[in-house]
This record gives sequence, structure tokens and C-alpha cells, in this order.
Amino acid sequence: MMKKLKKIASDGIITSNPTFRLVLGTCPTLALTTMAMNGIGMGLAVTFVLICSNLIVSLLRHVIPKQVRIPAYVLIIATFVTVIRLLLDKFLPDIYDSLGLFLPLIVVNCIILGRAESFASKNAPLYAVADGLFMGIGFTLALTLMGAFREILGSGMIFGIKLWDFQIAFFSSNAGAFFTYGVFIALFSLITSVVAKRKKEKTTKNNEVVCEPVAEVK
Amino acid sequence: MAENKLFGFSASPHVKGKRTTKWIMANVCIALLPTTVMGIIYFGLYALLIVGLSVVSAVCAEVIYKLITKKTLSCIVKEFDFTSVVTGLLVGLSIGVNYPWYAPILGSIFAIIVVKMLFGGTGKNLVNPAIAGRIFIFISFQTVVGGWVLPMSGDVITGATTLGGLYSGSDVSTINLLNLLLGNNLAGCIGETCKIALLCGAIYLAILKIIDIRLPLIYVAVTGLTTVCLYGFNFAYFLPSILSGGLILGAFFMATDYVTTPNTFIGNLIYFTALGIVTAVLRFATHMETVSFAILLLNLFVPLIDKHVINRPFGYKKPIKGDK
Repeated sequence: MMKKLKKIASDGIITSNPTFRLVLGTCPTLALTTMAMNGIGMGLAVTFVLICSNLIVSLLRHVIPKQVRIPAYVLIIATFVTVIRLLLDKFLPDIYDSLGLFLPLIVVNCIILGRAESFASKNAPLYAVADGLFMGIGFTLALTLMGAFREILGSGMIFGIKLWDFQIAFFSSNAGAFFTYGVFIALFSLITSVVAKRKKEKTTKNNEVVCEPVAEVK
Repeated sequence: MAENKLFGFSASPHVKGKRTTKWIMANVCIALLPTTVMGIIYFGLYALLIVGLSVVSAVCAEVIYKLITKKTLSCIVKEFDFTSVVTGLLVGLSIGVNYPWYAPILGSIFAIIVVKMLFGGTGKNLVNPAIAGRIFIFISFQTVVGGWVLPMSGDVITGATTLGGLYSGSDVSTINLLNLLLGNNLAGCIGETCKIALLCGAIYLAILKIIDIRLPLIYVAVTGLTTVCLYGFNFAYFLPSILSGGLILGAFFMATDYVTTPNTFIGNLIYFTALGIVTAVLRFATHMETVSFAILLLNLFVPLIDKHVINRPFGYKKPIKGDK
């Protein structure tokens, strides 16, 4: 069980990071990462919805008929999006304002529907919640990283604190969003390919050790 | 062998042409020299600093990128063509003197690394690196510096420039054409003010047959004519719309880049006509100089034009309809 949870964690944060590896939820990623704080707010809202919807979908996975599963998932997701909207509006009005339209649009965020469809509907509630948590953390980290990168270069600030006057407005513009996204996707591909290469080398070494006695037996 | 006779192959000592990429690009640099000199005369030594920094950083960026991709130093020296110098020169010439000193450096590095080298180096870039670098700087710093500098005096115009005024409906008859031609009392980038120097360079390139002079002329003429059409066939707009802004610099030195123009003559006709229309319409809509944006936009259409406009193969006859 621990092994599976560990795999879920590493999958969610690095190897199949929803933003940089699966390239899901692109719309809020590009639009909201002008500031790191927005990234954190959006990421945590999505994480909350992911955990709750994954839990409910997983609990109801034997009840929901296969033919109507997508409308059922959307209904579940929409419920929690409404909950988080009302909560943010009441307790964190600043973040509610800065996220704006993208908060209700979480309903159609591919990450949430994708995880409900491909993971939560096939796994036990515990794993589904873990998956929701780590996918959400992966998404939050990705958005925060991009937001910090664009905020530092684009407006010379980090989390709203002024660092210096030097700024390259290109990175706050939409073109800069695509550019930053591409750079980060390339970096993540590099990291995962290096990790996969190391793993392969390790396993081939082990195989060689295992293979030698077999050859002797023959 | 039959094929040998047909095509006339021969063994290795071949005739070598002198028109290498290096030769062409070195000549483009020479053609840009009068503009650079006029820019320095108009805008002072700071213009020299900006142009120099952008050229040096463009060349350095290329060398460093090649070192990172594990090329030896001798190989880099051997491969060096003047494309990065031309890119740096154009980036430097297409920005104003009121930009901070690090702006041309960042623009050149962006142009060389992101636009040129990441796509595979000289000849493989999708858009003109100098244009992309110029737009990078423009988007990043124009709001910070605000306005353009007048030559000689060094005053900064924060309101409408001559071009902005022209397109937002001020009186055409007040514009002095000679001033536009010489760049006298005309705010703008380092390289775009003196049209005479630009035209000298363009004629030099045309004499050496590096550029086909007809194509940029089509671009310029179409821009003027479209502007005339947009203002209810008022021909007073024709010359001011051509001579203001960076149209001459863009048309003769940036739009004619070999890599980002179509391969066929008809394709080129379509490309340069479209450039003219897009430039004039965008200028009309935004009241700003849009030559660089138009070129960047149309650069992306070049592969499409090349796909659909194909030269007729030699000796090919159109199949007659109904004939099997």
C-alpha cells in the first residue's frame, strides 16, 4: 500500500505532473500565472475540488451507470466548485477577485474530469483522495513556479514584494506566458528523460547480474 | 552512362561561386553602414553604444550557444557567417535611443538564442530573428521609456509621432516631405529616420543583386495605396505614409530576408502585397507603427505560401481537359 501511495505521489508531482507532463488545464495556467500568488490561489482551489470530487466519484464508482458517467462527474465537480467559490468569496475576497472568471471555469478543467475518469472511477477512495491531493499539489507547484518566474522577470516582484526596478514586460504579456510554459515543459521533459535513463541503466545492470548465473546453468 | 551525359556531372574540382552566405551577409552589413552612421550623427554616441552592444551580444550569444552544443572553437570560427552581425545591427537600429542599455542586449540574445538557434541556426528560423528581437524589446520596454526621441535635440516626444498623427487624422498638408526624407525633426528609431541613407544601402544591395528591388518596392507602394484607399482616395496620404515610420527600413532590409520569404516569384508577389495591405490596415487601426508586427505575422504564412505556390517544372505541359 505504501508503495502505491508513493507511486501516486511521484506521479502527481513529477512524472505525470498535470501541467508540465500531461499538459492539462492550460487555460488557467497561461492566464493566471502573471503573479505567484494567483498561482497558489488557483492551485489550492483546484486541489480542494480534486480531492473532494475524487473521493465522491470513487465512493460512487459502483453506483453510477457507465452510460451517464460524464454528466454525473460534471455534476459532482460543479457542486464542489460552487462550494469553493462561496468559501473564497466570504473569507478571501482578494483572491476571489483576482481569479475572477477562472474560478467557475474550474468545472471544465480537464485535470479534474481526467482524474475522475481515469483514476477515481477505478480505485478505492483512499487512493483516489491521495491521487487528488498529489495531482493538486503538482498543479499548485507548477502554477507557483511559473507565476514566480513571470512575476520576477515581468514586474520585478515576488509574492507582491518589490525586488528591483528592472522588469521585462514581455514576461507579463500573453506571449511571455506561452514562452514560459514552453521553457518549463522542456525543463520537465529533460528531468524526466534523465531520470528514466538512469533507471534504465540501473535495471540493465541488475539484469546482467541476474542473467549471468542463468547462462551458467545452461 | 546516359544520366551523366544528360546532366553533365563531373569529378570533384567544381567551380566555386563567391556568393556565399558570408559574402551576402557581409554586404548587407556594408549596406547598413550609412544608416548606422547617420543614426549616430543624429542621436549621438549613445546610439553607437546601443548598436554596438546589440551586435556584440548577438555574436556572443551565437558563439556561446555553439560552445554549449559542443562545437570546437575552430569550427565556430569556420562556420561564422555575418548573419548574427546583421541581426544585431537591425535590432540595434530598430529601437530608439531612450531605451536602457540592457534592452538591446536582451533583444539580441532573444533573437539569436530563441528565434534562430533553437530552431536550428542560420536558414532554419521560422521568423526573422531581428524582427522578433525588436518586438521583444518593444513589448518589454516601450511602456517604460514612453515616446520616441527627436534627432539632434534629444527631446522625447510622448504624444503622437508624425506617423501616429498622420493616421489619427491630423492635417496632411502640414507634413513636410523633405523633413520626412531626411529625418529632420522626425522622432523615431536610430535607423529609421534618415530615408536617404537607407535608400543608398538598398540601391547597393540591388546593384549586387542581393535583393530583388521590385519586391520591397511593391510592399512600399501597396502600403501607400492601401492608406490612400482607407482615407477615401486622398492621394495626399501616399508619400507621407511611405516616408514616415520604419517602412523603408522594414521593407528593404527586414522583409527581404532570404530565409523568411517564399521561394517562388509569384509567392513573393503574394507575400509582399499582403505585407503592404496588412501594414496599412494595422496602422489605420492602431495609429502606431506596425511594420515589424506585419512582417512577423506574414513570416508565419510563408510556409503556407510555399506549399501552394509551386513553380511549373521545366517542360511541364498542363493536361488538356477531356484528353486522356
